[in-house]
This record gives sequence, C-alpha cells and structure tokens, in this order.
Amino acid sequence: MPTQEQNQKFIVPIGPQHPALKEPGHFEFTVDGEIVTAASVRLGYVHRGIEKGTEDRTWTQNVYLLERICGICSHVHVTAYVVAVEQLAKVQAPPRAEAIRTIVAELERIHSHMLWLGVAAHEGGFDSLFMYSWRDRETVMDILETISGNRVHYSANILGGVKFDIDDQKRDFILKGLEFLEERTNHYMKIVTTDETFLGRTRNIGTMTKEQAIELGAVGPTARASGVTIDIRDSAPYSAYKTFPVNVITDETGDLLARFVVRIKELLESYRLIREILDHMPEGELAARIPRRIPAGETIHRVEAPRGELFYYVKSGGGDKPERIKVRTPSLCNWSSVINFAVGHKLADMPMILAGIDPCFSCNDRLIKIRRANQSQVWTWEDLRLHGIEYYR
Amino acid sequence: MAIGAMLGDILRSLFKRPVTELYPFQRKPAPETLRGRLMYDPSKCSGCQLCIKDCPADAIELLVVDKVAKKFVMRYHEDRCTFCAQCVQSCRFSCLNMSNEQWELAQLKREPFEVMYGRDEDVQFLLERAARAETGDVECGA
Repeated sequence: MPTQEQNQKFIVPIGPQHPALKEPGHFEFTVDGEIVTAASVRLGYVHRGIEKGTEDRTWTQNVYLLERICGICSHVHVTAYVVAVEQLAKVQAPPRAEAIRTIVAELERIHSHMLWLGVAAHEGGFDSLFMYSWRDRETVMDILETISGNRVHYSANILGGVKFDIDDQKRDFILKGLEFLEERTNHYMKIVTTDETFLGRTRNIGTMTKEQAIELGAVGPTARASGVTIDIRDSAPYSAYKTFPVNVITDETGDLLARFVVRIKELLESYRLIREILDHMPEGELAARIPRRIPAGETIHRVEAPRGELFYYVKSGGGDKPERIKVRTPSLCNWSSVINFAVGHKLADMPMILAGIDPCFSCNDRLIKIRRANQSQVWTWEDLRLHGIEYYR
Repeated sequence: MAIGAMLGDILRSLFKRPVTELYPFQRKPAPETLRGRLMYDPSKCSGCQLCIKDCPADAIELLVVDKVAKKFVMRYHEDRCTFCAQCVQSCRFSCLNMSNEQWELAQLKREPFEVMYGRDEDVQFLLERAARAETGDVECGA
C-alpha cells in the first residue's frame, strides 16, 4: 500500500517483529533526515486461514473459532456472528440475553481501551501510566472472569442467547469495580490532558482532519477523534443498544491527544451504560432454541468493536455448516489513515502514531490471494493445514 | 499544565505492598464460575454424543463399553480443550461440568493430559482390551 512516490531517500524498515505493538507487521518509512516523507505497510504475517476454517466446522463450533480471531475483542466478533446466524434462522434472542451480551461487550470495551491506554503510553515512553493503567485493568478482567468464568475468551454467546446470567451478587461486584475504575479513569483523563511531557508527544501529532478521515475510510475512535460521528451502536443499533442508546463521543482536533481523550471519554460512557442496563435488566429466558441446520440465505451484520466498525457476512447453504463467512475488521480500515498522516512527522513519533489507531494485526490478517498466471486452484481446509505444517517444517 | 502528574501515584505506591500476587505461595480463590477441567458423571450419560458433535476442539471422545446397559467411558484430551464449556451447555442430562477448583493443569509430559472418566471397572476393561490388541485397535488405540 504505497502512499507516495518512493524517492531516492533513505528507507527505514520497521518490523515485522515488534513494530509498535507486540504483533507482527512490516512498515517502511522513507526519511529525509528525521522527517518521514513516505510510508508503506505490509501485512499478512499472522494469516491463519480462519475464514476457510469456518467452512469446515458446524455453526456451533464456529462460535469458538471466530471468538479467537482477536484476543482483545473476542466477544464482539461472536456477537456479530451469532446475531447474523440468528437473522438467518429467524430467531430472536431474548431481551435478557441481549442485555447480558451488551454488558459483556461494554466491559470488553473498557478492558480494550485501558489496555490501549497503557500500550500507547508505553510507546510514548510514559511507563508509569502504562503500569498503573494495566494494574487498574485487572479490575475489569476480574469482573469478566467472575461473571463468565474466563479472563479473555468469555464465551458468553451461544447461538440464540447467552450462557450465563448476571445475578445480584455479580451485579454488585460489577458496580463496585466500576466505581473504582471511574475514579481512576477521571484521574487518567487529568494526567493525559495536563502532563506537559506527555502532551509534547501527543498534541498536534498525527493530525487527521474530518475530511481526511471520511476520505480514508477511518472508523471507530480514530474517526471520532477527527469529528466524524460514526458509531454503529448509534447509527445501526443492535442488541440492547436499541433500548439503551449510547452517546457518541467525538472530538474536533483529530490529533493523538484527541484519540486519547475520545477513548477515555468512551470509558466513562461505558460505565454509565453498564450501570443503566444493570438498573433496568429485562427479565426472562437466557436463550432461544435454534435449529442445528440454518436455512439457506445470506446476511450481513455490523457491530461496533472497541476499534471501530466490525463487519460480518454470513452465507448458509441450508446445512449444518456455513458456506462462507467473511470478516472485515476495523484495523484494516484504519491502516490507510495511519500511513497517510505519518508523513511529515519525525521518525521517533512513528510508534506512537501507529499505536494511536489501536491496531490489531492478527485481526486484519485473514486472506492472501496468490495470483499465478494460468493457474487456479481451490484448497480444502485439510490442504491448507498440511501446507501450513509443511511450510514451517 | 503540570510536569510529573503521576508522581503522586508513584510516591504513594512507595509505601504500599506490591500488587503482584505471590503465586504459588498465595492463591487467590477462583471464582465460582471459573471454567477449569471438565468433569464427567457417567451415571447420568445417555450416550447421545451431542457434546462431541459440538466440541470445537475435538477434545472429547466417548468409548462405548455396553450401549444397552449405558456403560460409557469418556476420554478427555485436556491439552486440546479450549475450556469454552459448549459441551456443558449441550448436555441435556447435566453430566458434564467444569471444575472451578482444578485449574492448575500444567504437566511435564503429554500422557497425563489424556484423562479417562467412567466407572472404574469400565475403564479397567477398556485399558485391558487396548493392551490385548497390540496394534491396530481402532476403537481404543492410543
């Protein structure tokens, strides 16, 4: 994805190992002295063949495969898939199940944003903020573990509903945790917006105007920091967002500082939303019955992941396995924006600018199309698996 | 505008104990809902094999000793298990559950990861049969 004409200047390769976050991606920055004049990105180091894998598994088994696309936003991936399958089967999840889905999704957003806050601070050399925010993130991880039974892959969703209920005891535990988190989040907001050394790394760095954000197709908090009012929870509400609307957080400046401010404000919004849902929990069943064979048809579903719009396309041939599942993750949409607004900044700012969009490399590496002249071949999942084993032997 | 906005936190922490848990000397009690090792109760099992059908990781096998008398042995591959609890959800007779006590599952060898659940005499019977059939035993081959 080259953005500008590569000139005869010095090119600094960064990655594939540890370019900014601890995930593989390769970047080439053309520099003139210290200033970056062009940037390009190469992805595809963690391609795992998940979409192909889904075609070989039943609808139920895919819940757990798709959950593993991303370790941070595991729940929204499944929500997108499960709601799409429910649409195909014309089954409506009970209101209580939808409320629980939404609570877990918002708790996940909290842990994702807090993780990002720490990582971004670390990239900026502010390790005390990194360590304290990650210490506090343990609170929300404990909440998730207590309500679901696992810290990372909560497996809250099943086709037609959710697995577990949130009783009064769990409710009190969540509320107690949120109280602590809210106090800490306000504290971090103060630090991020007042600490002079940190502001030096974020203010007016990586600025993206509203027009640029729309033109480059940015999504999620990255776009919202540039003043684009785009939030699937608001524009196409799903699950319990229909009854419990969210306030879309935007900022006008569009620089790194705005991305910090937007995400921290989103944390506060998530606390408010979880409290509201917990106060007005609908009563009823946890799951609706769903057939093992899903009627033939195709559908799409969009959800708002912590990083932005997540898109699922699901096609059923009427059997117990899907015919095709296509996933488009938010990180993919944000890459073009990051390599465009990197130009003109110092090389030292690159890790922070990269981290600023909260990229998730494993998320977006899903398909590599190899084009060979006069050669076309369809691989089965087993072929792919054997190829993978042979390739790394 | 300030410099060192986090100094307060850092200074306060100087007089506090580290937040790091001293595992394994101090163990935090696991939450009740924790999904640890899978447990199987053979007395309630009807042998419908829905759990096996739904398992995303091929972690469970059901070995039939006597179908009529409902004698089953479950071979559970702990190393393959993803601890998603779909089998617990799928089981209509609640003979599966995930322990919140047994979660320290690291082993030095591969063999202990293969767990056999069932009545003692059934497990014994299967093991003996596997030992007798030296090679090529499809059903119980290790």
